[in-house]
Amino acid sequence: MPRPTLRQLTWVFFRVGNSTFGGGLPTMAALQREFVEREKWLTPEDYGLAFSLARITPGTNVIAFCAATGAQMLGFAGALAGALGETAPSAILAVLITQGYETWRSNPLVLAAIAGTIAAVVGMMWSSIALLVKPYIHSSQGIVRAVPIVLGAFLALYTFHLTPLPIVGLAALLGLLWPDAERKK
Amino acid sequence: MNLLLLYLLLAKAVFTSFSGMASLPMVREDFVVKHQVLTDRQLSTAVVAGRTGPGPNGLYIVSVGYFVGGLPGAFVGLIALITPAFLIIPLMKFAARYANVPRIRSAIRAVVLASAGLLMAASIPLAHDALANPSGSALAAVIMIVTFVVLTFSSVASWWVILGAAGLGLAAKLIA
Repeated sequence: MPRPTLRQLTWVFFRVGNSTFGGGLPTMAALQREFVEREKWLTPEDYGLAFSLARITPGTNVIAFCAATGAQMLGFAGALAGALGETAPSAILAVLITQGYETWRSNPLVLAAIAGTIAAVVGMMWSSIALLVKPYIHSSQGIVRAVPIVLGAFLALYTFHLTPLPIVGLAALLGLLWPDAERKK
Repeated sequence: MNLLLLYLLLAKAVFTSFSGMASLPMVREDFVVKHQVLTDRQLSTAVVAGRTGPGPNGLYIVSVGYFVGGLPGAFVGLIALITPAFLIIPLMKFAARYANVPRIRSAIRAVVLASAGLLMAASIPLAHDALANPSGSALAAVIMIVTFVVLTFSSVASWWVILGAAGLGLAAKLIA
């Protein structure tokens, strides 16, 4: 199986990671085309392993996916190329956008535009909630398990003012003690 | 706030979440509520900045770092964002043994569900902030609902929605 140079690999992560809008899944799909189908640097099994483990790695799934595929090809240097190539250019852009907001925030017209985007953030968060919950409510069993966990975490933070860390820990413990029925793919 | 503490708090939030936005409740708790080095408005602005461009959803962590510690803070934010990703390397080595253990997978799914509840709670103060929109709370409510519907039920990229929301805010100001 051919192996890329570090430069070639960094370039693919940079190009795909910073030109694909829409979050992690489109980026992982685009990288599959590059690594598995076009360049044949990875087997479909390598890709599948990286994809499934990325979903159970803490943090942002797509960054873990890039670190995993990079490591499969070139070890730790490849992992570093994956994580940084995927995030660093977009991070610079995010800082520039933040600076732009800061510089123009005293202008009433810009302020009005920002106020519109701030409202959009709330809708974005609700959408994230819906997309997080959606895979787990396809059966009555799933709903019976999902509702108390979601509502319990909500109440623990909002009403009882627990901090998020113990809530996450309790949820993990509950998940261990109360196994769910795996959804068939 | 010193950069080490900034890193540790951001890394804690990223390490204990399993998707880009799921770290937000912990970030809010630490930076807005406990240490008071960030406002709700800045947190929302960071989310917008992270979602306007391409790249992963968790990029708002970098903007939070920038608000708290300037450019060095943004760098620290980037390092905190990518640190947990490297856990996948040892995880790959043990994958065959543990990744498919039903109870482990069940625990992870429970954490994902709890993240949804935490996000719900964290969205309430941000919604209050957004409803204080100078162009009217009705407009803000419409933008929230339309954003939710569009992002949940279509494949429209989030930066189009942000652009549309900015345009609506601007138009309302120009008309008023």
